[in-house]
Amino acid sequence: MADDRTLGEALAQRGISRRSFLKFCATMTSLLALPPGMAEVMAETLARTRRQSVIWLSFQECTGCTESLTRSHSPTLEGLMFEAISLDYHHTLQAASGTAAEAAREQAMKDNYGKYIVIVDGSIPLNAGGAYSTIAGRTNLDMLKETAAGAAAIISVGTCAAFGGLPHANPNPTGAVAVSDIIKDKPIVNVSGCPPIPVVITGVVAYFLTLGTLPELDAHGRPKVFFGDSIHDRCYRRPFYDQGKFAKTFDDEGARNGWCLYELGCKGPVTHNACATTKWNGGVSFPIESGHPCLGCSEPNFWDAGSFYQSLPTPTTSVTGAAAAAVVAGAAVGVAVGAVSRRRKSQAAKARAPLTVDDLK
Amino acid sequence: MSELEVLNWARGTGLKWALVIFLIGVVLRLVEMWLLGRKADLSVARASGAAAGWRTLFTRSIPTPGLIKTSALVFVGGYVFHIGLLIVLILFVPHIDLFRALLGFGWPGLPSPVIALVAILSMAALVALLAHRFMHPVRRFLSGFQDYFVWLVTFLPLLTGYLASHSPVVSYTSTLAAHILSVELLLVVFPFTKLMHALTFAVSRWYNGAIAGRKGVAV
Amino acid sequence: MNGLDAIGVRVEAALPAEAFGYTAAILREIESLLAGLVANGRAGRIDLRSLPLLPGDEERLAAVLGEGEVDADIQAMGATRVRETAVPGVWWVTHANADGQTVAEFIEVALVPEILKAHPEDVRAGRNILQERIADLIRGGETDG
Repeated sequence: MADDRTLGEALAQRGISRRSFLKFCATMTSLLALPPGMAEVMAETLARTRRQSVIWLSFQECTGCTESLTRSHSPTLEGLMFEAISLDYHHTLQAASGTAAEAAREQAMKDNYGKYIVIVDGSIPLNAGGAYSTIAGRTNLDMLKETAAGAAAIISVGTCAAFGGLPHANPNPTGAVAVSDIIKDKPIVNVSGCPPIPVVITGVVAYFLTLGTLPELDAHGRPKVFFGDSIHDRCYRRPFYDQGKFAKTFDDEGARNGWCLYELGCKGPVTHNACATTKWNGGVSFPIESGHPCLGCSEPNFWDAGSFYQSLPTPTTSVTGAAAAAVVAGAAVGVAVGAVSRRRKSQAAKARAPLTVDDLK
Repeated sequence: MSELEVLNWARGTGLKWALVIFLIGVVLRLVEMWLLGRKADLSVARASGAAAGWRTLFTRSIPTPGLIKTSALVFVGGYVFHIGLLIVLILFVPHIDLFRALLGFGWPGLPSPVIALVAILSMAALVALLAHRFMHPVRRFLSGFQDYFVWLVTFLPLLTGYLASHSPVVSYTSTLAAHILSVELLLVVFPFTKLMHALTFAVSRWYNGAIAGRKGVAV
Repeated sequence: MNGLDAIGVRVEAALPAEAFGYTAAILREIESLLAGLVANGRAGRIDLRSLPLLPGDEERLAAVLGEGEVDADIQAMGATRVRETAVPGVWWVTHANADGQTVAEFIEVALVPEILKAHPEDVRAGRNILQERIADLIRGGETDG
């Protein structure tokens, strides 16, 4: 069923005041680093548009991204994002199930062809013909290709959809790949993180709805406004790193004084995300502030980057076996080469003839 | 390959292979050296050669009279660079983390700003030594490709390491990857160049002392 | 907040009190926005959360701007506080969510901040609201009487 109401009408019917919505838009504008005057523009534009059709596809995922979004700190204010969109298909949140749910998806695609947004969470398995994850008897690969065909844009929410995530980790038994590995002809935004910060998800949707384009993206397809800085560069514990004051265990003097967690395995220096500035749970805290080193969860292959608790200078795999083998091999080759050299030396000594007068002529 | 993938390769496969080549090369050369042996000395020993050898290991560090007059820059610069490199390598906390992961034990380190200063002094000494080598006619005449290559391979880890901790523009990921790769390059060329002096200097000093000591001469 | 303040985090580096931080720069921007308002009625806004404020900047800014006559509280999915500063035309707007956490903070340079104004479409709908309320009043009077 198509929803013909504009957002303004929908809000009015729900008893949500214009001022509340303006406040929401002011917050979004600030978050997206847009000029402050854009708040009114965003509010006016969104109020006049028909609610954007969004189809949310959940593939090989843990539902953490949906949980992150729906458990946002202020369910009333952040939840206004759900007022601005018409969430036509979502496994966890929709009331319909079975064939009715699939029918809703197909109807939404037909009614809004070329204009709906597709949000994907979870990776797509390719092995065994894609049989590792199916919905309504169809492989994720099929469903993604079919749904993406009429999409205006695709938002890959979470590291699994953006880069393959956990299923993609070594040895990747399901052949999991990212959305961008399959869809090549549609604009894709990667909102990575395990899970992503909820306001980042809503911010990207708000940006697209207001301005009709995707925000500026980095080399990994992530919005620069949220993923431009590394955690390390905005971390409040940076002065301790610069001074070389590191916590060595989780409850030593240094840890209790809030020192840098580099030695405990913090991947902050190589991770780009908004955790250090926007923070989590409505700006309450983020992992480092709570005393735990950054996992690097918004980067590709972070599961295969060595232990979470081994610092960046350390090797990602054990090298002692190879090193021991190398010493033995070196010794063996050394003995062999030494033996050959000694033989050549003794042969040369034997073949040595004393110098005669004829040699001097 | 993204910059993070390069870094993780350097921390994993790259490090493993660099260490393997380094260890094979070093052990191979040391074993071969030892196997080649020396000709048996059939003369009667006047004094213990071995004791003299061990002593010479340390006395060779003291400069001969006149050395400071003839090549003060090389003497001072050489010591500044070598001691500085050693301090940076084994007393910088992130390096100690690496050794702890490789060896199973660690030790306390120095504050990072101190290490940064020492690194700068070491790099300055290296640059001064290179300039001297190039500008002094005799030294330039004696220098070949390997001399300059080995200088570069030693300078790069210091430079990239300093930049990794102090790079406001280039990302940490890239500079750390560059640093680890430069160290791996050093490891790979180490056994096949004059960098082996790091190990053979001890052997050389010992033998020189032992040979002279056996003849009753204190070197 | 629930006991988070009890976690001991000591930051060792502290700024001297005499440092001005970015206060002076923000005040100059307010000056130029005010000039624009006077010259051609153009309103402006500064997003305080987008600026890399140093510790003490906000307090210094508030101290310089002072307090005016107007202090408005808006209840819209959480409280929004609008305070006029001692400089007419310069307002301090703080948005909070339903949990009381500040979600946005602006310095607005205008005759009156946008969020205080009633929207023309709401005013049109307001006529119906008024008529209903008048009708209720009449009905109430009829049953009483």
